[in-house]
Amino acid sequence: MTDARGRCLSFGELADYWTSDIPEADAERIEAHVFECASCARLLAEAEQLRAGLGALALAGGFQAFVTDGLLNRLARDGVRVRAYALNPGDTIRCSAWADDEVLVARLRADFKGIPAVDAEMRLPTGEQWGRSTDVPVREGATELVLALPATRVRSAPEGPMRLTLRASGSHAGDGAIVAEYIFDHEGAHERPLH
Amino acid sequence: MARVTGSGATSLDAFADGSLARAVAGTKPGQAAEAETELYRRFAPRVRLYGLKYLRDRGAADDLAQQVMLIVIERLRAGEVRDPDQVASFILSTSRMVAVGLRRTEARREHLLVRFDSQQDAVSPDEWSIDAARIAPCLAGIAERERTILLLTFYAEKTSDEIGRALGMTAGAVRVCRHRGLASMRTCLETRRRP
Repeated sequence: MTDARGRCLSFGELADYWTSDIPEADAERIEAHVFECASCARLLAEAEQLRAGLGALALAGGFQAFVTDGLLNRLARDGVRVRAYALNPGDTIRCSAWADDEVLVARLRADFKGIPAVDAEMRLPTGEQWGRSTDVPVREGATELVLALPATRVRSAPEGPMRLTLRASGSHAGDGAIVAEYIFDHEGAHERPLH
Repeated sequence: MARVTGSGATSLDAFADGSLARAVAGTKPGQAAEAETELYRRFAPRVRLYGLKYLRDRGAADDLAQQVMLIVIERLRAGEVRDPDQVASFILSTSRMVAVGLRRTEARREHLLVRFDSQQDAVSPDEWSIDAARIAPCLAGIAERERTILLLTFYAEKTSDEIGRALGMTAGAVRVCRHRGLASMRTCLETRRRP
């Protein structure tokens, strides 16, 4: 796509073409340019591949991220098998991943008042770090964060208590302060009995 | 007018779109086969991308590309394209018209006459393959906030406004984050590109 001075636009701007909130006039401008410009057409094809690849990855439960109920609803509509656990601060829960689970979800409840973002860290019983996320956004009024994990990764985790700690971050006066901790007593991977 | 000939598609790379269109204009079937093939090679992928955006179905997008290019070649042969130099614009307007028809009919999956050899199809399966294995580590490597936004945008199909409300960000900040995430993903994918 070119702007008024005829320059090709960025990958990000071309990728916007696939989003559901691009204004119609912008989409038409992109189309007009892409039909004239072979290199932008190739770049747009690349953006489409990335869009499609992200969708395929999500469908396969191959991502770890803090998500929203909107994304979980989409996974449910697409038939992805999701197992969810809800935890309050200080809770210890027994958890396990079954062979046919595709995504595991932890609903992490806490008092997030005045906290714009958190860092999350998961440690194995040995103290070794198993996962870390920084600058997880927290909307005002939120009472929980939703962490989605690939079931394959959880199945391969060692058995025993894993500690997840949320700390305040994001230019908050209490940066680094513990917001909540949760213990996942991981019981390993389970197979359903054959009938 | 330059004579458009060549032993294969590559030798026609240097010809402008308008030259190819003029070479086809007013000819009988078979008289300008190489120019027709080159036009198809250049534009069928662009029409297909247009179809993916509006028809949301790969099969329907393939059908659109076939139908549109068939119409364009026939209109060129019949001398009905007023300005061959504007062939790209003509193909886009034809795409818009045909896509409206395809959206209206349930017969989009009906068998179409394949009027072009398979070697003329520039949209090879490999070109459109989705390599989730390459995408997964790249997605895991970007910032948490960007990962969440990419998944919500391209999988859950949420608008910037909806994502902003869910994460406590402005729509503008969501778009900035999305562009940053896309740029990081593209850089990562480039480094992992297959030889």
